[in-house]
Amino acid sequence: QPPLHSSFDLRAYWTSMISQIEADLDAAIPVAYPDQIYEAMRYSVLADGAKRAAPIMCIATCELVGGDRSTSFPTACALEMIHSASLIHDDLPCMDAAPLRRAYPSNHTVFGIGLALLAGDALFPLAFRHIVGRTPNSLVPPEAVLRVIVEIARTVGSTGMAAGQMLDILPAVGNEQTDVMTVLEKKFGKMAECSAVCGGLLGGAGKVEIEALKRYGKALGVLYEVVDDILLEEKRGIWSNGQSGKMRSNASVVMALGMERAMEIVGELKEKAKNEINVFGDKYGDRVLPLYSFVDYAVERGFVVEST
Amino acid sequence: SFFASEPAAEFDFKGYLLRKAASVNRALDLAVPPQLHPKLMHEAMRYSLLAAGGKRIRPILCIAACEIVGGAEAFAMPPACAVEMVHTTSLMHDDLPWMDNDDLRRGQPSCHRAYGEPLAVLAGDALLFLSYRHLADMDNYPSGVPPALILRATTELSRSIGAEGLAAGQVLDMESTGVNKPIDVDRLESIHLHKTAALLEGSVAIGGIIGGGSDGEIERLRCYARCIGLLFQVVDDILDVTKSSQELGKTAAKDLASDKTTYPKLLGMERSRELAEELLRDAESQLEDFDPAKAAPLLHLANYIAYRQK
Repeated sequence: QPPLHSSFDLRAYWTSMISQIEADLDAAIPVAYPDQIYEAMRYSVLADGAKRAAPIMCIATCELVGGDRSTSFPTACALEMIHSASLIHDDLPCMDAAPLRRAYPSNHTVFGIGLALLAGDALFPLAFRHIVGRTPNSLVPPEAVLRVIVEIARTVGSTGMAAGQMLDILPAVGNEQTDVMTVLEKKFGKMAECSAVCGGLLGGAGKVEIEALKRYGKALGVLYEVVDDILLEEKRGIWSNGQSGKMRSNASVVMALGMERAMEIVGELKEKAKNEINVFGDKYGDRVLPLYSFVDYAVERGFVVEST
Repeated sequence: SFFASEPAAEFDFKGYLLRKAASVNRALDLAVPPQLHPKLMHEAMRYSLLAAGGKRIRPILCIAACEIVGGAEAFAMPPACAVEMVHTTSLMHDDLPWMDNDDLRRGQPSCHRAYGEPLAVLAGDALLFLSYRHLADMDNYPSGVPPALILRATTELSRSIGAEGLAAGQVLDMESTGVNKPIDVDRLESIHLHKTAALLEGSVAIGGIIGGGSDGEIERLRCYARCIGLLFQVVDDILDVTKSSQELGKTAAKDLASDKTTYPKLLGMERSRELAEELLRDAESQLEDFDPAKAAPLLHLANYIAYRQK
C-alpha cells in the first residue's frame, strides 16, 4: 500500500477549518428573545472539544469532486447543528440518560429537560434554514439544495439515526431483529454517510460518485465507532470501571461479538473504505488524500483534534 | 355559540372541510408506510399522525391559501402534509411529563402514554424530519412547481417551528406556568403568537408561496393567520372553562387547575368574547381584496374557528 497519507497533514487540514466552522456556527445562533432557548442551543453547538467531523467530511468530499469550499460550508455547519441536536435528545434521561457529554454537563443537566428537548427541536429547523439561506445560489442550483435537504432528513429520520437510537435503547421491543452492526450503521454510520454525500451533491458529483461516497462514508462512520468501542474496552481493562466521559448506551461490538471479531471488523471496514476512494484516485489525484487520511485517523487516532 | 349570528352558508363549507381533510388523510397515510422498519417507530408515528384524526386545520389552511392565489390543490398537498407532521411533533413533545404532562390527546392516550417517553421523543423527531423530506422532495409535486419556491417554503417552515416560532412559544409557555408573577395580556399574546399563530401563519404563507402568490397577497394571508391564531387560542380558553373533558376530547378545566393564565382569567369572559369577535373581523378584513368565491374557504375557516364547540 502506497504511503499516500504521509504527504498530507490531516491535522493541519482539519484544525484549519474548525475555527471558521465555529465562527459560522456562532454567527448562525445569535441570542434573541426568548434568550434561554438560544443559550441552550449555543451551549451544545459551540461546546469545547467537538471534533466537527461531519462538517469536515462534507467540505472534503465537496472539494474532492471539484466544488468550491464556500458551497459546502453552510451545509457543513448545518450538519453540526443536526448532530448536536440529536446528541441533546439522545442524552435525555428517558434515552441514554447521560449526565455528561464530552466531560461537560449535558444540555438537560444545565438547562432542564424541557428546554433541552426544545433546543433540539429548534436546532433541526435552524439547520435546514441555514442551508437554504446561506448556500450561494450563484454556484449551487436550487434542485441540488433540495436534494441535500432530503438527504439530511432521510439520514436523521425514522429509518436512519432515529431508528438507530430506538434500536439501541429498546433492543428487545417489537420483536425487531437487531444486531449490533445494524445499530452502529444507523446510529453512527448514517451521519458520516450523509456528510460525504451532501458534500458530493454540493460539489456537483455524478451519480456513481455519490454512490461511492455513500459507501465510503458509511464504512468510515462505523469504523470510527468500532475503534471507539475497542478503545473504551481497553480503558475499561486499565481502570476497570469504563469511566470514559463518553456515555454509551447498549450497542457495543466488543461486548456483543468479542474483541477478536471487533478487530477483524476494523480491518474489513478500513479496507472497504479505502477501496471506495480508489475509484476517485485516477480522476482527482491528490485531492483524495483527505479521504484516505480520515480512514487512518479513524483507526490510529494519531492526534487530538482541537481548534487553534 | 357565543356570537349573535353565524355567517350565511351559501358555500358548502362542511363539504369542503370533509373533502380536504379526506385528501390530506389519504396523502398522510401514504407518506408514512406502515411496513417500514423499525415497525414500532412507524407505528408510533402513525398513531399520533393518523389514528386519532385531528381537524387538519393547518393543512387545509395551506391548501386554501394556495387556492386563493390561484394554485391547484396538488401543488399544496406536500406542504400541507408537512405542516400537519410538524404540528403533530409539537403535540407529541408538548404532552411529555416534563412539558405539559398531558395523558390525553385527540380523545386517546397521548403518544408517551401509549408508546413510552423515548418513542414519543424519537417518533416526534422522526415526523419533523419526514416533514422536511416530504416538503423538499420534488418528486412529490406535479411538474411545473419551481424548485426555488419549494426552497422558500422550507425556510418558511423552519421559521414557523423554530426558536422564533413554535419552539419559542413552548419555552414562553413553560416558563409562564406556575410562576407567582402575574402575566399580562401582552405576554399572553406573545405566547400564543409564537405557540399557535406562527405555524398557522407558516401554513398559509407556504400555501401562498407554492401557489405562486404575490408578496402582497402572502402578507395579507400572514395577517389573516395571525388573527385566527389568536382567535383559536381565545376560543380554546373559553371552551376550557365552559366544556367537559368528554366534549373536548382532552382534559378540560386543565388551565384552571394548573394556574395557567388564560384570556377569561385576565379579561373576564365577556371581554374575551369581544376580543374573539374583533379578531374574527380583523381576519375577515384581510380577505376583502381577494376574489370572493376563492376567499370563501378561508372566510368560513375563520368563522369555524370562532364558532367551534371543541
